[in-house]
Amino acid sequence: MSATVSRPYFPDYAANAPTKHHFSPYADNGGSIVAIAGDDYVVIAGDTRLSAGFQIYTREQNKLFQLTNTTVLGCAGCWCDTLTLTRLLSARMQMYEQEHNKTMSTTAAAQMLSTILYYKRFFPYYISNMLVGLDDEGKGCVYSYDPIGHCEKAKYRAGGSAGALLQPLLDNQVGLKNMQGIKSEPIPLERALAILKDVFISAAERDIYTGDGIHINIITKDGLKSDSFQLRKD
Amino acid sequence: MAATLAPVIPDAGFSFENCKRNADLVKKGFPAPTATKTGTTIVGIIYKDGVILGADTRATEDTTVSDKNCMKIHYLAPNMYCCGAGTAADTEKTNAMIASQLELHRLNTNRTVPIVTANQMLKQFLFRYQGHIGAALILGGVDNTGPHIYSIYPHGSTDKLPYTTMGSGSLAAMAVFESRWHKDLSEEEGKQLVRDAIAAGIFNDLGSGSNVDLCVIRKGSVDFLRTYDEANKKGVRQASYRYPKGTTAILTTKTKNIIVEDVSVRPIEAMDI
Amino acid sequence: MFLTRSEYDRGVNTFSPEGRLFQVEYAIEAIKLGSTAIGICTREGVVLAVEKRITSPLMEPTTIEKIVEVDKHIGCVVSGLMADSRTMIDRARVECQNHWFVYNERMTVESCAQAVSNLAIQFGDSDDDGAAMSRPFGVAILFAGIDEKGPQLYHMDPSGTFVQFDAKAIGSGSEGAQQSLQEVYHRSMTLAEATTASLTILKQVMEEKLNSTNVEVMTMTPKGLYHMFTKEDVEEALKNVAPLEHSRGDTPATGSGVQAKTSSA
Repeated sequence: MSATVSRPYFPDYAANAPTKHHFSPYADNGGSIVAIAGDDYVVIAGDTRLSAGFQIYTREQNKLFQLTNTTVLGCAGCWCDTLTLTRLLSARMQMYEQEHNKTMSTTAAAQMLSTILYYKRFFPYYISNMLVGLDDEGKGCVYSYDPIGHCEKAKYRAGGSAGALLQPLLDNQVGLKNMQGIKSEPIPLERALAILKDVFISAAERDIYTGDGIHINIITKDGLKSDSFQLRKD
Repeated sequence: MAATLAPVIPDAGFSFENCKRNADLVKKGFPAPTATKTGTTIVGIIYKDGVILGADTRATEDTTVSDKNCMKIHYLAPNMYCCGAGTAADTEKTNAMIASQLELHRLNTNRTVPIVTANQMLKQFLFRYQGHIGAALILGGVDNTGPHIYSIYPHGSTDKLPYTTMGSGSLAAMAVFESRWHKDLSEEEGKQLVRDAIAAGIFNDLGSGSNVDLCVIRKGSVDFLRTYDEANKKGVRQASYRYPKGTTAILTTKTKNIIVEDVSVRPIEAMDI
Repeated sequence: MFLTRSEYDRGVNTFSPEGRLFQVEYAIEAIKLGSTAIGICTREGVVLAVEKRITSPLMEPTTIEKIVEVDKHIGCVVSGLMADSRTMIDRARVECQNHWFVYNERMTVESCAQAVSNLAIQFGDSDDDGAAMSRPFGVAILFAGIDEKGPQLYHMDPSGTFVQFDAKAIGSGSEGAQQSLQEVYHRSMTLAEATTASLTILKQVMEEKLNSTNVEVMTMTPKGLYHMFTKEDVEEALKNVAPLEHSRGDTPATGSGVQAKTSSA
């Protein structure tokens, strides 16, 4: 919380010396993002709670941003930075479309986001970003970022305030890690969606910044579909 | 050390022997572990026939929920209970300590202890520790002079009020009281009002959550209503997460036979959950 | 050529009353002093061929570089003022690298041409970016590249106008060469046929006798990408070129005497 603490001012006691003032330009507005990619689909979900400190700003904030028909960005962290970044991105998507007469591919968008983030290396956008989409072969892919542009391609990922809580669960249930004698089969879309919802149910139990509901985007070759799901509201 | 024959009884009060060492450790870059806080909404009101205390049941460590159903209404004496907000250990131990002193006081005086006595003991205790004991309390009870509600702050100041709220959800809860409390509330109205005040904290304050606990204290009787209302239902899982047998890797096995020399059956009382 | 010369042919920012920018038109004329270059786009790839004018026997022919690599998937040939072309090639290379850096993908040939075109029309007034260029570039460029649409050939002139071509000739012999290209070009041409055709046509329009030292050849294919012909490659390719027909060989390049003085090549 960055609320200003106001103190009474007594001119007679004021010190005749330089005063240090603190300015905190960032806010942590919480929120979690989870994405799972399959061979012919990718799903991404973000919770709909926007908060700061112990306060809830809104219970219905969508944190997913559609960049193209096959690319979606999920953002959690400092909300004002998210607003600025996503506006910049949509402008850049449009500029690219007009300059090069084609829609930006998921891989190109992934690289562009990385350079945009690194461009602000010493005053970063305080966001944990997750970019998902279908690549040129129609395969689902997930790119996750740190705030200054490090990009990692993955098949599944959890980020945001409950990211550390959920990633080990995904490692086990989607990545099939730490299990013996398990046949490694591709996860069907229905199972991925069920895991996605269950994972958020669990996050809402233990993370105070995750709750209220989730928005889901499902990307397949047939296009983008949306879904939503309710979570506990305390 | 002949510990088993003549155990050393530690001195009464707190031990400060590690303070200097811990300060040194912090200076060298080993941060002190964080204590569990009860983010908390706690409330208390006076109604027509007594007092009603209420609390949520969430305990947090930073932004993680550490207990989803903890008890924040503590027993002090047969006629008084006390809600605690702040550092969990401080509220629990302070109340337990004062409860034992109140019981001794009751035995010495052979009468129902007045609420004001408990208030005085609590504020003197907290003042002595200059706010380092992070307990914010709502003390409520009924004695020979009638129903009483006190709010007690960590530094030792107290208020005597007809209705009060404390903790991070105090503003949300107070909004409910300010709009609906009046002094002639019936017991049912009072319980509903307290439930609604706690629910306001549960839903609107991130430090508070889970269920509503109530405690109704009348002249001569107490209803301790644990989980009066389950304000939030946990979501229903959609997939199955059962592992087939053999999923966990066995690294080594070693068998040791147990030699049974004698068999006896001892009945054990069921644990109160 | 332009008999009604007036004060309007001086400034690059001034239209003549007839609506012409003389300096740009003169720049286009300057290309016609340059050495002939030919590009042919086939389904298999693109071939670029250009003559090298060896104006002195003491000259080192390998240091004349008219075909250059812009990126792994784009190459280009230039004709006109070589010094000007360096600036434009530099821009093309920077734009391709920047595109790769930002988007992690190959720049399309069209976008590359567009980027160089943006530089080509920066003559005129100065602005915040710096001082003005005093004149248009005296260069024509053929971009040969491979992108998601397959093999591509683009032509750009000093006005910054760029157009896609199946086959295009630039430089002093371009008029005759373009005519010949129209006759020989067909859609199902192989790359080998296109290479032979380009050398045959070059041979027809060149003043000098065509040999492996006074020509540069490059092919751009989806698999091999930018491939510059070695001396041996050129000699191999020249074997397929038929001996000169007499009816064509006597066409001299326009203004061939001027080029040495203006150091245009």
